[in-house]
Amino acid sequence: MQNAKDSFYMALRTRLAAINPERTILLRGAVRPGILVEEAEAPFSQLPNDVFVLRWLGLGIDLDLSSTMAAGECEILYQTCGTQSYGGLDRGRALSAMDEELVTMLAPFHTPKLNYTATPPTAMLTQVFWDEPGFAPITVLRDRLSRSAKVMVYSYQEQGE
Amino acid sequence: MAANWFSAPAPVARRVRAYFAPVNRASQTPVLFDASQQGRFSLDAPPAPWISLGWIQEFTRKATSKSSPVLTGIPAATIEQVRETIEAQISLQFLSWTKLTMALATGSQHMNLLATTDGSTPAADGAQAVTAVTPQSGSTATSIVLSSTDAAKFTAGSMIAVDVDYTGQSGYVGTPVAGAYVRQVLTDVDYIRRVTFNVALVSQVNTTGLTLAEPLPGGAPATGAKLQAVTGFVDREGGSFYQEWSALFVMQGSQGERIFFHYPRLQTMTGAEEAAIPLDPKDKGGHARVVLKGQYLALPVIDPLDGERVLCYRSFLPADKALV
Repeated sequence: MQNAKDSFYMALRTRLAAINPERTILLRGAVRPGILVEEAEAPFSQLPNDVFVLRWLGLGIDLDLSSTMAAGECEILYQTCGTQSYGGLDRGRALSAMDEELVTMLAPFHTPKLNYTATPPTAMLTQVFWDEPGFAPITVLRDRLSRSAKVMVYSYQEQGE
Repeated sequence: MAANWFSAPAPVARRVRAYFAPVNRASQTPVLFDASQQGRFSLDAPPAPWISLGWIQEFTRKATSKSSPVLTGIPAATIEQVRETIEAQISLQFLSWTKLTMALATGSQHMNLLATTDGSTPAADGAQAVTAVTPQSGSTATSIVLSSTDAAKFTAGSMIAVDVDYTGQSGYVGTPVAGAYVRQVLTDVDYIRRVTFNVALVSQVNTTGLTLAEPLPGGAPATGAKLQAVTGFVDREGGSFYQEWSALFVMQGSQGERIFFHYPRLQTMTGAEEAAIPLDPKDKGGHARVVLKGQYLALPVIDPLDGERVLCYRSFLPADKALV
């Protein structure tokens, strides 16, 4: 499943860079597209604002197939306080913009599976694919608006995985 | 060494896409789809003359062909089977309301509501229409050249129907799709434009003519064709005409594989019917999406390969590097 998780993240990251190049994060001294995998970074005391955070949750396996299917549940969390220039009064618009970016990032609902442990990454044989996101209601904490969306990500296990 | 193939399980698909092509009713010639040559087309840009009908749902195929046993011996046992009848039906729901999907989801003629003249006597399928105008040379499928006087009669955002005058023709009428079968001579000069499928939306109007937001299904206006503004569409329960079309349904699998269901000839089996699907399943009294329901009977064609009569072709293009 790790190759599928990596491929899903890299697909979203590449798409986000094209959709909104302005959405970036300075992380470990490097400016990157504003999307990260929580389990691949140092623990956060608080999730960063204006960035998409991928959190992997459930896992399901179907062994009764000619190729084993794995399904991973990915929660994508994001939050914003709006911009300083508007005194945070645009936080609703900022969250809506992130909603739209996420919907756009997720289409098309598939990407080639690559092995990112190799340099350069090597193409595998199958595609990673996923369903439409299920959006949770907005959570309000003082001036911070947060939302999460869950996506089921599917892949077939290939030989050697 | 890494394997360069994989064993693909059953395809996983999200949706079904439908495509339409006209049947030449006079010669009973359908449009055939060759998956070997055309199977990898972009779902948003089907090969001509196929026209997208958008996504559909509740797509169900039912084979109702009947076989009978040939019995022999005492006690009798089946030694052969013979196919007594061949029949297949499909049903589906269109997720969009367009001229094409409405027409295919109704049981009989589907008509354009032509813009009417002021004070004309009301009629259920459209009153006396505004006089048609003639496209000039240089018109194409997406651009209609008109005199400035005629162009001023249209506005951006209006719809148009383009076809020839009715001048006493009988039999199938309408281009490029037969929209009706005329059994007895009519008097309405606009009748063919009332039933034609050759409609489009006007995106822009200037003094030299109209620019269309989508190409006319029939291509550049034919000699003798005229155009009229359309305000909407109407169909009827009853009548004797059956719509017939060549159909292609595509399921795109998660690994890039494709399943095609090609029905060279489909005819409607039922009258116009809709289904209301609540947007919020927990609130059945709230907003509901109204989808067009269609149920079709497949008609046979002779396969020139071996002379067999067949109703449908199912083609499968496996995923890249999948074992077969």
